[in-house]
Amino acid sequence: MSNFGGIRHSPSTFASSPASTTLFRRLIWEGTVPLEIRVDSKELPANSNRGLECYFIQAPRVSYLPLLVPEIKRFLQDVVFDDEAARLMKEEEWWFESEEGHLLKWHWPIGLIYDNHATLTTSRPGASGSARAQAVPLRLTLHLATPPNDRLQLSPTAEACKQAFMGQLKEADFLRWGNTKRMTGLRKAEQDGMWEGIKEHNFDDYWRVASKITPTTLPASSPHAPQSSMHTRPPSADPQGVPDRDGAYSVRSVPIRLYLPEGPVLQDLAPPVLEDGTPNTLADMLSLHLPLLFPAPGPGAGPTLAYALLQGVITPPEAEIAWLGACMSGADGWVNICIGLGRNR
Amino acid sequence: MALTPDAIHLSSSLSAPDPASDASLAEGLAALESYKKKDPAKVVVRFKAVGNAPIMKQNFFRVTVSNHFQAVIQFLRKELGWKAGEPLFTYINLAFSPAPDDTIANLYRSFATDGHLIVNYSTTAAWG
Repeated sequence: MSNFGGIRHSPSTFASSPASTTLFRRLIWEGTVPLEIRVDSKELPANSNRGLECYFIQAPRVSYLPLLVPEIKRFLQDVVFDDEAARLMKEEEWWFESEEGHLLKWHWPIGLIYDNHATLTTSRPGASGSARAQAVPLRLTLHLATPPNDRLQLSPTAEACKQAFMGQLKEADFLRWGNTKRMTGLRKAEQDGMWEGIKEHNFDDYWRVASKITPTTLPASSPHAPQSSMHTRPPSADPQGVPDRDGAYSVRSVPIRLYLPEGPVLQDLAPPVLEDGTPNTLADMLSLHLPLLFPAPGPGAGPTLAYALLQGVITPPEAEIAWLGACMSGADGWVNICIGLGRNR
Repeated sequence: MALTPDAIHLSSSLSAPDPASDASLAEGLAALESYKKKDPAKVVVRFKAVGNAPIMKQNFFRVTVSNHFQAVIQFLRKELGWKAGEPLFTYINLAFSPAPDDTIANLYRSFATDGHLIVNYSTTAAWG
């Protein structure tokens, strides 16, 4: 773990947040998932090398399927297809399905696709609680023709994916601060740099810019942060004014979505602090929006029937959502929580 | 409009779960089913032209909240008589383009202004 603690970047870039925040951000960034990509055998061109049509990749969680296409294409050209088939290949007609036939969205981060699939496999009739897929490759079928464009809702180009990514960043910005001034205040080169950071999987390039729009964390007990915590007071009561303006507990709402295994996706305003002044926790949010799965504690309350998976981690219910927003969000600024059936384990 | 969720293929498992977890799994599955039910509620979506985009005579519409934003874009294109391929950019609150698979329910809860979800439309990229 100590390798991640901040020796590979200049400290000045991240001066506004304590080392633990950078550590978690780097752990999220470095997270990868195994994918097994197989061309639909019915669509494999004649004369293909059939023993080799399967491609394995350890893909970054923060990346997107369109960004994997060039690498997959190279593999198919070099190893699987003959020259004629390689020449006729049109990657703008490619699309992906999961093994079970679920269409995979171009604009979902790969980590979200993986987690959503993991919760799906435990949330079906007959699944045993212990059968949760853990570190097994997600099997994808690559189709080479006739994309269902109405359901994909986005063209499979890196450019369309980038626009969707920027849209998500701005939506997150608007939720946090009530406007998109932080995003629109970035120079074009900075915005492009964030996307390049994802394409190249370069933590420093991405966070050099992202740290300007992502809330900071300044815990009261931290020696780096002499200002007192925002946990118990509204932002306006802060005598210093400046330090917590960008703080995780000063946002209007944390950009957070709850993904149920077969849908729907739930999104609502999620204030970092509740009306009684206590921090809004994951448990508070889950029992508010999904009371059938996460009953609010109290006399006669039923058992918890589900768990919350965030960046591949089963997340403790007492986690404060403000902290999750600052430290565990994806590169698009969102805290994407997948709900699976079963107890916390 | 393809607004129904993708068909789900559930394969039966050969594993034999223990009875206790089986009961809570059944309860969990029932909960998931109830959350999957489509909310028939409607909310007001208000379209506002930006720049030189044509203005709509009638710009208030009641939209079922389970619709995806994509369906609203398609509806708007039809109302404007837009041909396929003609560019139309849509934004919420003059600020951002939501994901096409975001539901009106989610957008309304998060971004409604005075009881309306305001959708701006433009013929050129404005806040892209």
